[in-house]
Amino acid sequence: MSYDYLFKYIIIGDTGVGKSCLLLQFTDKRFQPVHDLTIGVEFGARMVTVDGRPIKLQIWDTSVSAGQESFRSITRSYYRGAAGALLVYDITSSCTFEGSCTELQVVNLIRRETFNHLASWLEDARQHANPNMAVTVIGNKCDLSQRRAVSKEEGEQFAKDYGLSFLETSARTSQNAEEAFIMTAAKIVQNIQEGIFDPSNESCGIKIGYGRGQGTLGTSGTVGQTGGCCG
Amino acid sequence: MDLASRYKGVVGFVFGNENSNSSEDSYVERLLDRISNGVLAEDRRNAIAELQTIVAESRAGQLAFGAMGFPVLMGVLKEERDDVEMVRGALETLVSALTPIDHAKGPTNEVQPALMNTDLLSRESESISLLLSLLSEEDFYVRYYTLQILTALLTNSPNRLQEAILSIPRGITRLMDMLMDREVIRNEALLLLTYLTREAEEIQKIVVFEGAFEKIFSIMKEEGGSDGGVVVQDCLELLNNLLRSNASNQVLLRETIGFDPLISILKLRGSSYSFTQQKTINLLSALETINLLMMGGSEADPQKDSNKITNKSVLAQKKLLDHLLMLGVESQWAPIALRCSALRCIGDLVAGHSKNLDALSSKVLGEERQVEPALNSILRIILRTSSMQEFIAADHVFKNFCEKNTDGQAMLASTLIPHPNSMTDASLEEDVNMSFGSMLLHGLALSESDGDLETCCRAASVITHILKDNSQCKEKALQIELEAPMPSLGAPELLLHRIVRYLAVASSMKNKDGKLGYSYVQPIILKLLITWLADCPNAVQCFLDSRPHLTYLLELVSSTSSTVCVRGLAAVLLGECVIYNKSSENGKDGFTIADAISQKIGLTSYFLKFDEMQRSFIFSSVKPAQSHKPLTRSTTASMAEIEDDENDLTDQKNEDHPILTPVFDAQFVNFVKGLEVNIREKMVDVYSRPKSDVAVVPAELEQKGGESDKEYIKRLKAFVETQCSEIQKLLGRNATLAEDLARTGHSHPELMAGSGSDRVQVETLRRDLQEASQRVEMLKAEKAKIESEALMYQNLAGKLESDLKSLSDAYNSLEQTNIHLEKEAKTLKSGGTSTSTDIEAIKAEAREEAQKESEAELNDLLVCLGQEQSKVEKLSARLSELGEDVDKLLEGIGDDMALPEDEDEED
Repeated sequence: MSYDYLFKYIIIGDTGVGKSCLLLQFTDKRFQPVHDLTIGVEFGARMVTVDGRPIKLQIWDTSVSAGQESFRSITRSYYRGAAGALLVYDITSSCTFEGSCTELQVVNLIRRETFNHLASWLEDARQHANPNMAVTVIGNKCDLSQRRAVSKEEGEQFAKDYGLSFLETSARTSQNAEEAFIMTAAKIVQNIQEGIFDPSNESCGIKIGYGRGQGTLGTSGTVGQTGGCCG
Repeated sequence: MDLASRYKGVVGFVFGNENSNSSEDSYVERLLDRISNGVLAEDRRNAIAELQTIVAESRAGQLAFGAMGFPVLMGVLKEERDDVEMVRGALETLVSALTPIDHAKGPTNEVQPALMNTDLLSRESESISLLLSLLSEEDFYVRYYTLQILTALLTNSPNRLQEAILSIPRGITRLMDMLMDREVIRNEALLLLTYLTREAEEIQKIVVFEGAFEKIFSIMKEEGGSDGGVVVQDCLELLNNLLRSNASNQVLLRETIGFDPLISILKLRGSSYSFTQQKTINLLSALETINLLMMGGSEADPQKDSNKITNKSVLAQKKLLDHLLMLGVESQWAPIALRCSALRCIGDLVAGHSKNLDALSSKVLGEERQVEPALNSILRIILRTSSMQEFIAADHVFKNFCEKNTDGQAMLASTLIPHPNSMTDASLEEDVNMSFGSMLLHGLALSESDGDLETCCRAASVITHILKDNSQCKEKALQIELEAPMPSLGAPELLLHRIVRYLAVASSMKNKDGKLGYSYVQPIILKLLITWLADCPNAVQCFLDSRPHLTYLLELVSSTSSTVCVRGLAAVLLGECVIYNKSSENGKDGFTIADAISQKIGLTSYFLKFDEMQRSFIFSSVKPAQSHKPLTRSTTASMAEIEDDENDLTDQKNEDHPILTPVFDAQFVNFVKGLEVNIREKMVDVYSRPKSDVAVVPAELEQKGGESDKEYIKRLKAFVETQCSEIQKLLGRNATLAEDLARTGHSHPELMAGSGSDRVQVETLRRDLQEASQRVEMLKAEKAKIESEALMYQNLAGKLESDLKSLSDAYNSLEQTNIHLEKEAKTLKSGGTSTSTDIEAIKAEAREEAQKESEAELNDLLVCLGQEQSKVEKLSARLSELGEDVDKLLEGIGDDMALPEDEDEED
């Protein structure tokens, strides 16, 4: 299938926030509730359309790795070659005894770790990634509103502070799952158009398609505001 | 420093004599001193050049350098990046220090200084990071030497290097960039990445993320595909490392650049019929890639199976089958290893994939007028090849084609019609126009006249696949009749009978020659018969129709000139004649066969054949689904040279022909094991009950109404007669069994004792069991009773509980009210403004009341006081009358009110 551009994405964030599920929902349109941590989707590809342009997305789920220690350093190896990143956190309290704990325990266990770690993930990305990598902050599991621990406003504020896009998604109900990927693509298209990205330099995670492409963007007027930017 | 001193210790230990190296030591030391402390640039450059020479030429130099040199050279690499010549010199010296020096002399177990040096250098992850940073240098030699150093480190300490490189951000990215560098660098980088990706899943993924697939395929294209040199081989080895057991990367390859570029490598171009060794290796490596894709991923990956199927579908869509047929079937000039590998790939491509099965069965090969089905061509390979390896590879195609493919089997079976031409006249060259089945039957019969059953047993193997688990095909094959080898010799012969005859012929041939060359013919024919008779009473019937068959089979089981495997398989076949026997015909039923076994062989000895066979190499050796050794530079060279690695196989330590290992695959071995269990059970069954014809209901023994005494007596007499003969039979059987027991008792005294006591024990156990089951029944009843009681109590408890609950609820609500009230009171007490007036009122009231009360009391007191006063007055008057000074007397009273009564008493 021909495409105008090929973008490489990575999905980053703490373990257990639903990165693999989000990818699976996007590529296969299905949800797998019990996900084996060690064996995941790892890679997925799909075509999307941004402003009428066919764009191929290649997405790496970087979380699939053995030890937590080596986890970050391995993820770092993916930064440079990525054009976009989905930085995912979990909006709910990460009560690890889910199901078995009583209401009282949940209250005691409310943690917002995955949200609190966002800044350190960003720092990592800043240090190792292409400075123009399009990052979208994703608050996942928004279907579990009864267990919400991070408000939407907080997420929005964080993204605004760092100048990033923001969305709340649910890999379970597929709410916004597609939008998250398309929104990031739209941002990259915009960057190319504004000359921030040089699509001919493949090390940025962008490739011009065989069929079309080559300079078409420069002359075409506006880029669709698909998804828009929160901020 | 610590490392260095330890190293020196090792050096001293190894050589035992430090003096012999002292000259190198001091020389190297001096050079290092000049490098680190020298002032003149020229002098330092000379020193480093000299150092490089000595390290490259002598082991002692390498040792001395390892002991002292690393910190100095690493310092140069770190601090003096601008001085290209120094950096080059330092790197070149490092390369030399890590390269083993070949010395024919000297013991081989001597410590390799180069290996020790790699170990030393790889310990410091900082050094690795420093080396990686050098890859960005402008100077070609700097990059070139750096890559060589990294490769040397990787060959000796792969894990440490893999870990170090993973922990350096962009480490792999730098190495990947080298693939785009100029040719020499690129080739070095390919080798380096091959080492780096071996069994390191994370690195494999990152390398692929960095676009390895695109780069690998573009290099291969540049180098001319399969016609290219060793670089193409390196590319394929790297590719295989990236795909091996890595479903994720396989998906990525499929979804991104697809399988086209891979398949195009397999495409044979032009008229080049020459297969150089390099080209053969390249093609073998590409077939290995195909094979990895068809395995889907690592065993543990749940995605593996679906990935496998998708890969096979996509590969077939890209016309892989055509290319494989070209390589494996049509290119008879291609090296045999390549043909075999392609055939195996064809087998794997169709395995468990219905669409690909159909594609293979409808594929035709050849030029216009000479077209024939591909399956026929593959069959011809089976029948004709002189290579056992090629036979096994082509047989693999049919095995996978027939597996769970009843339609395919039926299609092949439908063509099983003997060729009308006189079989002996038709030579192999004329078989192009024959149908598949005719060719197969022709091949089966062909070799008989030559006194060679080679083709016969290969045909038998193919027939086995066609009949396996397919009752329709089995029935159909039973109808097939073959012409007698020479028409004058008699009537046509049934296919099954012909095959049994070949089985017999094979043993006589072996006996004549006395060599083991035929030892796989009988097992393969036995495999066919076992497969055929399985679950097919008609085949059993057909087999037993000819009396000599049973006799021969009984002989074969106890034949000492056969292998363990043949005896065991014959025993299994014999067992099938019992368990799948539906015949009631006297002399052919299961009882007769069982009796024959027990009389001619003896049950113990018969069952022993199974045990022996299960212990034999072929049945006991562990069989992985497919054992694939990765093709590497070192292994491929030998691989391609192998014309037929039959020799390679013969050194196994067993009496059976090595070819039987692939023929007797895990599936067949398990099948035989299952059969064995059934046979044992059936045998016990046969001996544990009388034949049905003597089973009589006792009621029938009564005189029937209207039956005359005479008739009754006659009937009873007849009954007694049948019983008598049955008793005779049973006695006979009993005698055989006892004899068998006695015979085994001789050879295995402990076994007999064991079985005797076993029987007693069994009896006791049976009684115990009966008793126990009675007790169980009793306990069960008791349990039921208790259970019902328990239920009652439970209900009661439930009721009580609910009572209690309502009580406690009531109590709770009372308490609640109480708390509520208390709380209200508290609020009230704390005093809202609205209630203050009430309180004031209450207060006032209370005060009033209190006042009233105290007033009344006061009145009482006043009355009392008045009375007292009058008393005092009266007493005072009386006292003054008596001449007492009343005033003086009363003086103290004002002070001491507490003692008014004393005063009274004083009165």
